[in-house]
Amino acid sequence: MRAYTFTQPRAVREAVTQAGTDTAFLAGGTTLVDLMKLDVMTPARVVDINRLPLRGIKLDRDGLHIGALERMSDVAADRNVRRDYPMIAQALQLSASAQLRNMASIGGNLLQRTRCGYFRDVSTPCNKREPGTGCAALTGINRTHAILGTSDACVATHPSDLAVALVALGTHVHLVSGRGTRTVPLDGFYALPGSTPDVENVLRPGELITGITVPRSMWAANSVYLKIRDRQSYEFALTSAAVAIEWRGRTIRSARIAAGGVGTKPWRLPAVERALTGRPATPDVFESAVRTAADGARPLPHNGFKPALLRRTLVRALTVLAESR
Amino acid sequence: MTVSPVGRDIDRIDGRAKVTGAARYSADYPASNPAVQPAHAYLVTSTIARGSITAMDTVAAQNAPGVIQVYSPFNRLGLRAVPGAGENYAPLEDTQIRFRGQIIAMVVAERSEQARDAARLVRTSYDEQPPRLSLADEPRVPATGPPGVPAPSSTVLAPGVPSIEAALAASAVVVEASFHQPMQHPVAMEPHSVLAEWNSDQTQLTLHSGAQLPHTSAMVAAMRLGVAPAAVRLIAPYVGGGFGSRVFPWFDAALAAAAARQLNRPVMLVLAREQVFTVVGHRSAVDQRITLGASRDGVLNAVRHVSDAAVPFVGYRWMQPAVDTSAVLYKIPNVEFDQRHVMLDVPPTCAMRAPNEAPGAFALETAMDELAVATGLDPVALRLRNYATVAPGTDRGWSSKHLDDCYRIGARRFGWSARRATPRSRVDGQWLVGMGMASAIYPGGRRPEPIQARIQLRDDDTALVSSATADTGTGATTLLAITGAHGLGIPLRRVSSEAGDTALPQGAPSVGSTAAASTVPAVEAAVTAVVAALIQEAVTNPQSPWHGTDSGDLTYVNGQLRGAGRAMPFGRLLTTIGRRSVEATATAQPGPEVAGYHFHSFGAHFCEVRVNRHTGEPRVTRFTTVVDAGRIVNAQAARSQLVGGVIFGIGHALLEDNPLELDTGRLAAGNLADYMVPVNADIPDIDIHFLDRPDPVVNNLGARGLGELGTVGSAAAVGNAIYNATGKRIRDLPITLDKLL
Ligand SMILES: Cc1cc2nc3c(=O)[nH]c(=O)nc-3n(C[C@H](O)[C@H](O)[C@H](O)COP(=O)(O)OP(=O)(O)OC[C@H]3O[C@@H](n4cnc5c(N)ncnc54)[C@H](O)[C@@H]3O)c2cc1C
Ligand code: SF4
Repeated sequence: MRAYTFTQPRAVREAVTQAGTDTAFLAGGTTLVDLMKLDVMTPARVVDINRLPLRGIKLDRDGLHIGALERMSDVAADRNVRRDYPMIAQALQLSASAQLRNMASIGGNLLQRTRCGYFRDVSTPCNKREPGTGCAALTGINRTHAILGTSDACVATHPSDLAVALVALGTHVHLVSGRGTRTVPLDGFYALPGSTPDVENVLRPGELITGITVPRSMWAANSVYLKIRDRQSYEFALTSAAVAIEWRGRTIRSARIAAGGVGTKPWRLPAVERALTGRPATPDVFESAVRTAADGARPLPHNGFKPALLRRTLVRALTVLAESR
Repeated sequence: MTVSPVGRDIDRIDGRAKVTGAARYSADYPASNPAVQPAHAYLVTSTIARGSITAMDTVAAQNAPGVIQVYSPFNRLGLRAVPGAGENYAPLEDTQIRFRGQIIAMVVAERSEQARDAARLVRTSYDEQPPRLSLADEPRVPATGPPGVPAPSSTVLAPGVPSIEAALAASAVVVEASFHQPMQHPVAMEPHSVLAEWNSDQTQLTLHSGAQLPHTSAMVAAMRLGVAPAAVRLIAPYVGGGFGSRVFPWFDAALAAAAARQLNRPVMLVLAREQVFTVVGHRSAVDQRITLGASRDGVLNAVRHVSDAAVPFVGYRWMQPAVDTSAVLYKIPNVEFDQRHVMLDVPPTCAMRAPNEAPGAFALETAMDELAVATGLDPVALRLRNYATVAPGTDRGWSSKHLDDCYRIGARRFGWSARRATPRSRVDGQWLVGMGMASAIYPGGRRPEPIQARIQLRDDDTALVSSATADTGTGATTLLAITGAHGLGIPLRRVSSEAGDTALPQGAPSVGSTAAASTVPAVEAAVTAVVAALIQEAVTNPQSPWHGTDSGDLTYVNGQLRGAGRAMPFGRLLTTIGRRSVEATATAQPGPEVAGYHFHSFGAHFCEVRVNRHTGEPRVTRFTTVVDAGRIVNAQAARSQLVGGVIFGIGHALLEDNPLELDTGRLAAGNLADYMVPVNADIPDIDIHFLDRPDPVVNNLGARGLGELGTVGSAAAVGNAIYNATGKRIRDLPITLDKLL
């Protein structure tokens, strides 16, 4: 048996002291245990954080605060979240399965690992898993892989649906480590693969997510999360769109848009947002605003459909939102 | 008067055990001696597709905690290859690599986690050769199948027609289309697992290992181990799905048994889910081309059906998609099929549910839809116009065939008349709405070999029906009880039943949709035999009130013996004469009465699909299937079979695919997240209607098989509905949204 140390601290300070390099925090375990069984993650230390007081779903003047250990199902069912941040509830509801959502935490969700099949198969080369071994996906089966933010070293998507919605809404992540606490915007939290795809975010060794804050806004309440996939449940996104609009009459005062399933991290689309600002909500406006959405895309042999699908996903999400107004 | 359970909605008699977790699947069995815990085995599989092993370092694995032994080509178990029964080699006996994912070592340890972790420490070096993996580019094997397989190519021509080309040239309308279907996996819920246990002097082996043919699986395991078939008993009353993946045994059972023999200890082996994708067979990828020739008003004149199916170098199954589709479905004077094969370095194939017919019908029934478009005929009318009453080129008809009523009744139930022939003519908000239909056909007759069943009548007025058929979730065990209760004329609650154990009389294999039609006559024969045995007891036992009576004066009716002015339930008679029970085993085999007939079951599928105008996802929203499978024995189980079969078809149409890397032989999917089958959200209410008309020939009840029927044609119905919705004809499965953008 591959041995590792296992601790169950009750205080955050205790947890971060026990953690260091080669440590994995255990929350719901739906990513970690899976990958440990596959030998993809082989931490020397596992720190079970489930006894830490990282709970709570609170709405106040600053916005929505969610503790890192809140379960996906509980956040999706929260009345305030459903009313004021519908795209968050929808993104969660459309993720995984009911059983997984009952286990999986918000912190763990943001840190889940890519579903690239090569990453999960230790018999294949993968720069993210084993830096310097190469990227099997480039020449392999890559229908579900990313088209935006990719590099020659890695083309894996970030799989989280929730992160796409949170990035669109300008969410902040709260972190703690032996060096103290800090707060970073979620968009900047994730790293592009570049030549170091094993570095996925700005977390320092042993640093813990304690919670997130989604700011109050004029657009979050008019939002939708649309997820496109081959089957209707229990699958990751081929593409997804998180769209929030602040209306002035029939005109779009401002928009917040991010896409999933296409990027190596949750993908903000500021150019599309700008193209919608101050425009009426008509099909023509939507079509022309999304024209640039996939600019810079680098399609792979099996995912050449993704740029078009991304544009269509955005138009559909905008249409749904305009119709439900 | 007892009401017969035949034809009613009968709950599975093992349903409670299943939902409460009391049912024991193979890996749930404890060792028979609680003092000897089983050792646990874990497989190591190859990471190249072709070549040989040059060296294997097992030292670290051997020294890992809990490890008992590491078997490999360098520490062999001595298994034998059994040609003709599954794969054509024996694992760990040589260093050759035949496909990626082949078994190359097995670690046995005290605990399963220890075996798994140690297996990861085995280091293998290979001498790699370029694998042959491309269905499109590797050479076609001309139309000669393995010995014993029906002629893979055949031509039937009307008098005076020189060739199929001439027949096609003489046809006013010709439709030609090519189809591709990728590898598909049965993905039964229960991963293949085995507990192997020898008796103390190693003369008897007990295997707990799910099997669709218990006796055959035990026999093949015996041959691989080099022991007499009688030395192996297989016990697996519960099997977590077959779908063709448990027809012949894979190597799990023999490997575990060989290790158990060497270690003198029970051994349990459970395949990891990713191993199930390569150690266990799949349905081969297949390319097909169909050419239909017809008159302007849609009367078929010719069909040519050419297929190139992948066949693994290791065996074992050669696909023949035309045999029970293009060769029999329609009245066509000129028929040619050419079923070629392409040998590849891929994992073994198996007879996955409707093995030939599902891909064959997808091609044929899509081409028929294209012919309907080309001739301007309604798809149902086109099929009725070409209705076959005898098989092409013969005067051989069917034992019973009401497919025409399936079409008509199905069309009515579904509301087919609301369909508009022009594609894209129905839009509902964001969704394009289309309707499609297709035919289903699958052999529905009995096994040719003798099938046995045993009935025991007991002194508490209950009966036990036993037959070593397999219940892969089909309801076979329940069917034994229903048929027994019907034959004995006693309430179902007084009948119990058992299957899936080679110590029982050899029953019908759970293959080819033959189990029900073959089991029913065996149970009927056992009823006759046990009644005769009961009467014999009654007239010969000195304690019996009928002692000395002429046996011809006694009759058995609904659980009672009657005659000579008295009547007595069999339980009371047995109590009176001091017998706990009386039993008899009987055999049934089809006789001359079945000669000269085709036996098929039939159906008609109708479905509605919605395709999103923006993003292209196809979603099945309505489905109706009308079935002619003779008399229905258990309406509930039969409906489950058809619903499950249609879901299979929806999966084939929209989801199932396991892309193969052409340079490495690696399969993209090795789990149930990446290998996609439908989930509940993908499946609408499925309306199944049975004509329920007894077949006058197949057996006394008139019941034919239906387990695979729903899988045949259902994918074509979905594809045809997608065409009607969008105007796009996708002949390359699965029909995913990117093909509809
Ligand atoms: C079959 C399947 C389908 C799925 N489908 C979807 C889907 O459609 N959409 C989707 O978005 N997700 C999906 N998921 C992913 C699922 O949402 C994640 O596995 C889950 O959210 C992870 O949360 P967890 O609490 O279980 O994390 P864990 O597995 O416990 O941890 C995940 C990672 O985060 C680290 N970690 C956890 N909490 C913290 C913390 N507070 N601070 C620092 N590090 C931490 C762990 O060390 C580990 O590296 C699916 C998962 C499975 C297995
Ligand atoms: S895409 Fe990234 S995760 Fe996938 S194989 Fe390449 S490097 Fe690894």
